[in-house]
Amino acid sequence: MRADRLSPIASLLVLLGAAMMLAPLVWTVLLSLKANGELVGNSGAALHGPYTLQNYQAIFGTSQTMRWLLNSAVVSLGTTTGVLMLCSLAGYGFARLEFPFRRTLFVLVLLGLAIPSQAVILPQHQLFATLHLHNSYPGLILPGLTTSFGVFFMTQYMKAIPAELDEAALLDGASRLRVFWKVILPLTVPAQSALAVFTFLGSWNDYWWPLISATHSNMYTLTVGLAAAQMNYAQTSGLGFLMAQAVFASVPIFIVYLIFQRQIIQAMAGAALK
Amino acid sequence: MKRLFALLLAALALGSCAKGGGETRIYLQRFFGECGAEYGGSTDIAHAEGECGIITTMVNAFNASDGKAAVDTNVIAWPGYPQLTAQMAARDPPDIVSMHENVISDYASKGLLEPVEPYLRAGGLTAASFTRASREGVTIGGRMYGLPWDTHGGLWHINTGLFAKAGLMRGGKPVLPNSPEELLAQARQFRQRTGKPYLLQSLVGDPAGATRNLYTYVLAQGQPVFPDARHLRVNTPEGRRVGELFRQLTAEGLGTSNMDTPAAIAAFMNGEGGIFATGTWMIGQFQQESVTARRPLFGKYAVMNYPRLWGEHRIYVGGHAWVVPARERTPEQKAAIGRFFRFMAAHNYDWARTGHLPAFTAVLDSPQFRALPHRADIAALADIGRPMPGYVRRQSAVEGIVGEEMSSAVTGQKSVPDALAAAERRVDEFLAELD
Repeated sequence: MRADRLSPIASLLVLLGAAMMLAPLVWTVLLSLKANGELVGNSGAALHGPYTLQNYQAIFGTSQTMRWLLNSAVVSLGTTTGVLMLCSLAGYGFARLEFPFRRTLFVLVLLGLAIPSQAVILPQHQLFATLHLHNSYPGLILPGLTTSFGVFFMTQYMKAIPAELDEAALLDGASRLRVFWKVILPLTVPAQSALAVFTFLGSWNDYWWPLISATHSNMYTLTVGLAAAQMNYAQTSGLGFLMAQAVFASVPIFIVYLIFQRQIIQAMAGAALK
Repeated sequence: MKRLFALLLAALALGSCAKGGGETRIYLQRFFGECGAEYGGSTDIAHAEGECGIITTMVNAFNASDGKAAVDTNVIAWPGYPQLTAQMAARDPPDIVSMHENVISDYASKGLLEPVEPYLRAGGLTAASFTRASREGVTIGGRMYGLPWDTHGGLWHINTGLFAKAGLMRGGKPVLPNSPEELLAQARQFRQRTGKPYLLQSLVGDPAGATRNLYTYVLAQGQPVFPDARHLRVNTPEGRRVGELFRQLTAEGLGTSNMDTPAAIAAFMNGEGGIFATGTWMIGQFQQESVTARRPLFGKYAVMNYPRLWGEHRIYVGGHAWVVPARERTPEQKAAIGRFFRFMAAHNYDWARTGHLPAFTAVLDSPQFRALPHRADIAALADIGRPMPGYVRRQSAVEGIVGEEMSSAVTGQKSVPDALAAAERRVDEFLAELD
């Protein structure tokens, strides 16, 4: 199929939009490559050389940066894996199975969408304190597993898959779990991809819960660790370092996007079409 | 893949290993940033620079010299109070914590901090060791709840080159006003001769500056800002005089109205205005500019205390302190905290190199401190500086409210009486809700 060509005006508008989207990113990178002292008096100095990597050296020189990177990776991957498993199972249950209070439970799940996480932060913190789970990986991962959006998203996606597929497999003697695992789950890969992206990004960028749960620096995630490493008034006297931190924190996400670009776009398109 | 996983696990296990040795350990939690790359192994306090460098080398030096105890440092994101509160809720607070003096009352009023007199005594320190501003900053109900560490407050950072052009230098020193009328007259003269604003104000997203002005000049007129723990009183003739003065400065274009802090700092460093009223913490940065050739501020920098415009010379100040959260501790740990306080007190001069005023009278009066650039000009702040009374809780949040309203008054978004009345109403409602 031949792609439709954009008109010159449309192309210009698209280019303009792309430039507007890219400008802050380019600005951030340029600032990160300048010495802090140069930027204090004039941030416009970022538009010309000399450039330096000293802000990045300072990040890597911070004793625990790699530890924080590892913590973020463990927490984000753990949360994403857990969310995919739980939400797929819950989605299948709500979409396919009949059990007492199914509708009521689903409404409760939907209500969860309306409750901001900040509203439950105090009892959640007390609960984790009682269980001695603060400053631990389970303490950072478990709260992220309870995602109403994920359950709702997977339920809706699975509802759209024809029930005849289940019935055919059941007639062939497959168990419910086998139907889920072998028949339905492979068909939900686009939705799983989309949910994985949302969950990973949310977990990687999360600041509030790690800030109050991981209070020992060896358990900081990257977001909390980089914030802790900032001097006071970083936005004035440490602007280059601040921007280098922003670039550094987003690089892993950028790499994930580059590697899984095709799957992510397919997932978005697939989820939209469903 | 399995090998990679095993490596990850090994790295985690290694990272989790506690340091060996049977010595007493105390946990210090602080802001001021992390600079392990530059100062992680250094114990050379005298050659460390900046807040982070100096405090890092101080802790390193204590660990190297004490022999009986070791301090483990946990660096937190500024200002660190959400984390500290969470740690206290989980009953796992650190042993020593950096804290702004205006926050101490929030924790002390709930019994979450220990009075530190026993630690001070163990460290050979008494209340008389401290400057008046520092002592008052940590004292609540007659008890001291922290080792005062410095005094910081608003100063007038001055471009002496522009002041000279405006004819406002005498004997090498800037001529500052002694009354509101003189302030307006000098600001008009400055504007007329230089074409630039007299006062650079960061009124956007920075309520602290406007609050400092209001508190300072209401106190100077002899009126308490908080007559009791539940009420702010600024919508008074004294408060309105302050509001109207800064409103007039801004309305006449003698003061800027559209700058945030980075913009105001950049403007000052580029010689775009006569005075930038901000804290002690900027002295180092501006001093560096003033000794760097070909920079706009080269050879043109002075810093003075806020001038006395009414009544007495009073300036609203704050400070940093080291507090001790309440928890069970061994006698060895308590003794270690006392020794750590003594060590910190012995190196208060080094901390004063950051620009903050020392907390100890002996350091403030020492020739060594007075020889630091500009310090002799601002040392009086330790005596004339006044913190808010210790009975006022949530001072940081209250400052935010007051600053918002004062900024609205200064920029003309509200009339001065309306803004000050709104500040009183909002703060009183806020304080009434506290248990």
